[in-house]
Amino acid sequence: MLLETAILAGLLFGFGIYQVLQRSFVRILIGFVLLSNGANLVILAMSGDPKGKDSPILAEGTGPHVDPLPQALILTAIVIGFGLLSYMVVLLYRIFLDYRTTNAADLFEEPLKEAKPEEPH
Amino acid sequence: MNLVAMPILLPLLTAIAALLLRADTLRRGIVIASCAFQVIVALALVILTARQGPIALSIGDWAPPFGIVLVADLLSSIMVALAGIISLASIVYGYLELPCRLEHPLRIPLTQFLMVGLCQSFLTGDLFNLFVAFEVMLICSYALLTLEADDWDIKQAFPYLAINAVGSMIFLAAVAFAYGIFGTLNFAEISQRAAGMSDDPRVLILAVLLLGVFGIKAGLFPLYFWLPNSYPILSTPLAALFGGMLTKVGVYVLLRVFGTVLPQDLSGLHTVLAWLGGVTMLLGVIGAVSRNFVRGILSFHILSQIGYMVLAIGFFSPYAIAAAIFYNIHNNLVKSSLFLVGGTISLLNGTDDLKRSANLWRATPLLGVAFLLLGLSLAGLPPLSGFWGKLMIVQDGLRQGEYVLIFVALFTSIFTLLSMMKIWNASFWTQDASVPVRIHDRRWIGLTAVTCTMALLTVAVTIFAGPLIELSHQASEEIFKRETYIRAVLQLKADRGGVVDQAVSVPFEAVSDPIDGTSNPWLPEVAR
Repeated sequence: MLLETAILAGLLFGFGIYQVLQRSFVRILIGFVLLSNGANLVILAMSGDPKGKDSPILAEGTGPHVDPLPQALILTAIVIGFGLLSYMVVLLYRIFLDYRTTNAADLFEEPLKEAKPEEPH
Repeated sequence: MNLVAMPILLPLLTAIAALLLRADTLRRGIVIASCAFQVIVALALVILTARQGPIALSIGDWAPPFGIVLVADLLSSIMVALAGIISLASIVYGYLELPCRLEHPLRIPLTQFLMVGLCQSFLTGDLFNLFVAFEVMLICSYALLTLEADDWDIKQAFPYLAINAVGSMIFLAAVAFAYGIFGTLNFAEISQRAAGMSDDPRVLILAVLLLGVFGIKAGLFPLYFWLPNSYPILSTPLAALFGGMLTKVGVYVLLRVFGTVLPQDLSGLHTVLAWLGGVTMLLGVIGAVSRNFVRGILSFHILSQIGYMVLAIGFFSPYAIAAAIFYNIHNNLVKSSLFLVGGTISLLNGTDDLKRSANLWRATPLLGVAFLLLGLSLAGLPPLSGFWGKLMIVQDGLRQGEYVLIFVALFTSIFTLLSMMKIWNASFWTQDASVPVRIHDRRWIGLTAVTCTMALLTVAVTIFAGPLIELSHQASEEIFKRETYIRAVLQLKADRGGVVDQAVSVPFEAVSDPIDGTSNPWLPEVAR
């Protein structure tokens, strides 16, 4: 169970970084979604193997409980990740409106032809 | 002690009040009064921690491993005080620069929320809470960066956002690993349990992850390119706040994590840190020499100054850490004042492009004197405040035999002087009849007054360098000895009837699964 979780988290991080490094804005956004899910999965894995454990609700006759702290951490992290992502969507949309492109490489292309007349000598 | 929560609560309340009020003179008065009060509270905290040692507070009276603790030791209170002073100066400057109706109504609330994040990252005693504080701070900084940016500049916010967002996600994963390894996120408890684990590969991986993350936030060598391009798009007062405090948070956290939390014998990693600092300062200063506008030059200088502090952290002796802390005090004030001078230059000349600015020495010699004091102090000319910090770093480097790094540091100083003289020559010394000086715009008087007050403050740092260096030594002792810090936090736990760890470290095999009894390194201890 833990090994599968580790592999899945690794894949999410790998694909996430790959997508963030792409040029298209949509791919970059998807990359961040993958990255934040990967990070949340890592936190979840820290509560250990859930096999044979009850959910962390203290009641009569329940056995050993799953560690509840990572779940609380994930809840916070999801909210923060969501806020970050929504800000990013708005920023990229504003850049799209200003530059009429969804390609990150176009943004930072040096305008070589315009730069030359500025230097008279 | 509830005073510890005040530096977080005050800006929070101010921000909410500023959101509810209309943006007029009344709001300005309230905000300035609150900022001044924040400075007083922070200074009281410095005095208190200098006398009594670290003060801890468990939020909501939850005992430490489950609740969040705030800890103010001397280093954190010094940083909170610096943040308070710089935010006050930047807000006053912003008020004098723009009349009420031209100021963006959201600027003040966002600045105050930024202060919440800043102070929380200085005061928190919990790794996950540090992550949350970072996010509060960063989201406000993204918003401030794009709030008043025009259509051309706004693209520079994207690399800043992208690199910091990736950094945050890695930070989150590192927090999870820390919980997995130590079973706690409390700095004091991690510090206890990690003490004997410096040759454990998992601790090393965690340390490298944290180094990478905080390196990104501080603007260290391989991942610094976002900083010098994004800071110049900020307006002057915000640039002063960002340049003065925001990247220094990265330095503070490196100090805290490597000094107080992780084992102190990770000497390989400290060497890496020192070299990263050396490369950063060199590339930063070369970048600064290549730029031709004031804010661009100053933004690159942030990098080279960060390099100095990280170099000192990398030397990792009590003396070097004290040097880093003193350098931090000096640099935060000087750097933000220089941004303010840059703003006044661009108000008077109508541009901060060095080719099109001139004549300022004749128009306003006072500003020139302030700039000279600050610029020479940044370069580290004796007897100004920058000299003492650099002297301490160089002394410790020579003692440790790091001659190459010391050579780089001195070389960087000369180039810093060069680029400061570039600004001086172009803006102040050159006489060019074709360049107008807008002396009729009366705003410059107020702006120069704020700038000169800040310059006087750095002169005060020079005059009181002795006591301040002693204070830095005391703060660095506290970081190195750790016992007072740990005792302050664990006292809270003992007060609530919790079981305090007596063992210094948890051996690798000690963490075992209660279900089948086999060793399971992934399972945290607290689960049972």
